Amino acid sequence: MACAPNRVRLLCMLSLTFGFFIVEVVVSRVTSSLAMLSDSFHMLSDVIALVVALVAVRFAEQTQSTNKNTFGWIRAEVMGALVNAVFLTALCFTIILEAIERFTEPHEIEKPEVVIGVGAAGLLVNLFGLCLFHGHAGGGGHGHSHGGHGHSHGGHKKHKNGKVRRCETLEDSRSAGEETNNLVGNQNNSPNGVNPDRTTAGKSEMCHSDSLDLQINGSAPYEELENGHDSASQLNMRGVFLHVLGDALGSVIVVINAIIFILVWNPCKPGEVCENPCVGQHCADHSLNISSEVTEGAKIAGPCWVLYLDPTLCVIMVCILLYTTYPLLKESALILLQTVPKQIDMHQLNAGLRKLEGVLAVHELHIWQLAGSRIIATAHIKCHDPTSYMDVAKRIKDFFHDEGIHATTIQPEFVTMNSDSRTSLCELSCRTQCAPKLCCGAADAVKPPDEAVDAKISCEAKTPTVTSTSATSLEIISESVEETSRPESIVIMTREVESSL
Amino acid sequence: MLPLSIKDDEYKPAKFNLFVKLSGWFRSILADKTSRNLFFFLCLNLSFAFVELLYGIWSNSLGLISDSFHMFFDCTALLAGLAASVISRWRSNDSFSYGYVRAEVIAGFVNGLFLIFTAFFIFSEGVERALEPPDVHHERLLPVSIAGLLVNLVGIFVFQHGGHGHSHGGEGVFLHIVADTLGSVGVIISAILMQKYDLMIADPICSMLISILIGVSVVPLLRESIGILMQRTPPSLDQTLPECYQRVQQLQGVYNLQEPHFWTLCTDVYIGTLKLLVAPDADSRWILSQTHNIFTQVGVRQLYVQIDVAAM
Repeated sequence: MACAPNRVRLLCMLSLTFGFFIVEVVVSRVTSSLAMLSDSFHMLSDVIALVVALVAVRFAEQTQSTNKNTFGWIRAEVMGALVNAVFLTALCFTIILEAIERFTEPHEIEKPEVVIGVGAAGLLVNLFGLCLFHGHAGGGGHGHSHGGHGHSHGGHKKHKNGKVRRCETLEDSRSAGEETNNLVGNQNNSPNGVNPDRTTAGKSEMCHSDSLDLQINGSAPYEELENGHDSASQLNMRGVFLHVLGDALGSVIVVINAIIFILVWNPCKPGEVCENPCVGQHCADHSLNISSEVTEGAKIAGPCWVLYLDPTLCVIMVCILLYTTYPLLKESALILLQTVPKQIDMHQLNAGLRKLEGVLAVHELHIWQLAGSRIIATAHIKCHDPTSYMDVAKRIKDFFHDEGIHATTIQPEFVTMNSDSRTSLCELSCRTQCAPKLCCGAADAVKPPDEAVDAKISCEAKTPTVTSTSATSLEIISESVEETSRPESIVIMTREVESSL
Repeated sequence: MLPLSIKDDEYKPAKFNLFVKLSGWFRSILADKTSRNLFFFLCLNLSFAFVELLYGIWSNSLGLISDSFHMFFDCTALLAGLAASVISRWRSNDSFSYGYVRAEVIAGFVNGLFLIFTAFFIFSEGVERALEPPDVHHERLLPVSIAGLLVNLVGIFVFQHGGHGHSHGGEGVFLHIVADTLGSVGVIISAILMQKYDLMIADPICSMLISILIGVSVVPLLRESIGILMQRTPPSLDQTLPECYQRVQQLQGVYNLQEPHFWTLCTDVYIGTLKLLVAPDADSRWILSQTHNIFTQVGVRQLYVQIDVAAM
């Protein structure tokens, strides 16, 4: 399992970092160095980032759908990545703040040897963390290729798996999310294989007899699940990796700074008369008593540029961090914004769907990414009548499977008897009051003028006109009763209204 | 090949587009009341932060400089809220089939995270100052913090309508302003304490208390936005959904209701998908329309009902 090593890695790094944080706090109290204390708080923020990632991984393992979270907790990984990215950005801001403060009021480093020691130890810890997480962040890419292979070969097997699982959902009347279970990840089951433990003896006969007859409308193959989980957690681990990278860079800067300080700086030794021209020039708060009579032998404290090295390096580090964090921030934010995944071309998909036999029109096509490679699609498909619907549905599901989308919900819309040529209109569209709330009815450009009367009927006051009509001429809610009796012929709308997407 | 479009401005050079885009954004900002308020408050905050920065540099007060940076930090939060309110109004396109409406939820979430980070940062600075109290010049800090308090009170007054029950982006901004106000109040209280009673410890204690307050106040916002972003069933539907399921299952011809997924796209917009297992002789159209009806009554306007026919 890919997840368990993740958790182990995170716990390992977490304990190391936390231990180091305690060490830094103690050292800062012993040497009464404020810089060490603030650095220890940076370590603490690192600990928090690791805790967030760990919590996300833990949550994402609970892939059972619950009543409240019907998709399971898979999205926790994406959230963890976003939280880490935001924390990193905020951390960069505060580092810039402190750097600018240092620019206006340069400090000497007190006790640089201790700083070197602790800085080097911190660097070691962070390098270790980098090795731990770099391996995973790079290895996540393999997950995709496996999924690709499984996809092309496992066509038949997928359906077989689907049939058995479908049976199981039959018995369970409250089967909330059985397929989501499979979708979201059931790591106990072996990929490409039917797991016999899941069916009890009594149910299996019913299953086998039904499996041939039951029309399957989509189910997720096992092999996709694990890889999807990998690529979702990959995002999370990337966040952790970037955080550790930032800390490592910080330690590098601390060490470099302290070394240069020791080598180059000539400090004012206590007991000597010397000037410190760098500190206290602009600051009225600490008024250094710079005596105007400087004797020949008086020392002048070392080259001033050394004091400005620290903030300069910090600014460079912030730039590097921001540059590497931005893609992570963007990616996780885009997933949460319900974007169409970048590997999917909506136009092509739409065109392909419409070319399928039996599909008259496609409305309200929405494709979004739950997390990783789990993609969910929903659509309204208009077709002729319920009897041909099941074949059309199967074809549609296969089409989506080929694209890599396995969790689809297709709502059929049937052409009404008298208005079979109005293919582009949504049969079950909302009233126009709902139209701003992203319904497809708003986008239909051409409407027969008589339908204006529907616009005034509010959403809540929808009375089912179904009851008043006979079975042969079924009425649908969005059209008023008198329309069905009008024997008009409406121009066939062959072009789908693209803007309804 | 003839040109496909008769519009000439498609062929205009690119640099005009940037100006057009910017002015387009400006117009859309000024169009909506909330974003207009946000924009003006952002300008106010930004100018006050600049004034504070210049004053701090001129009088060499590090406290003022760092406080001005804190205000700049807040301005970025306001900017995020403003960007979200503009972005969420963009139209849907090929990449964003639902449009950009989720931007507000994300902005609220990010604002909440920034607030938690600020609280953590203030707490750590409070601890540092408690251990090693710096020399704080309070006579300069008091008038500036009072001015900052006034600015924030203006903000609270302007945004109080956008506080509760509104979009999450607005709530995030409101909380941020409240946090800032609390900060100013805390600084004033500690400055007074230090002047009157010479209690140097008041400053760090105040900041620690304030940071805890900020952290606690932001938790409900975070919980809500996390719920939405995690595709959780809308909390307001928690009670009514089981009844709806029962009603659907009682429809003629329906065997079973499977895999219901209901989630919030943004405030008050709920989307649902479910699968119905129906008998082969059932009237699919009637079932579909009835199901839609049932769920529209509880407020789910976008519903996708998949019909699976059990052939027996």
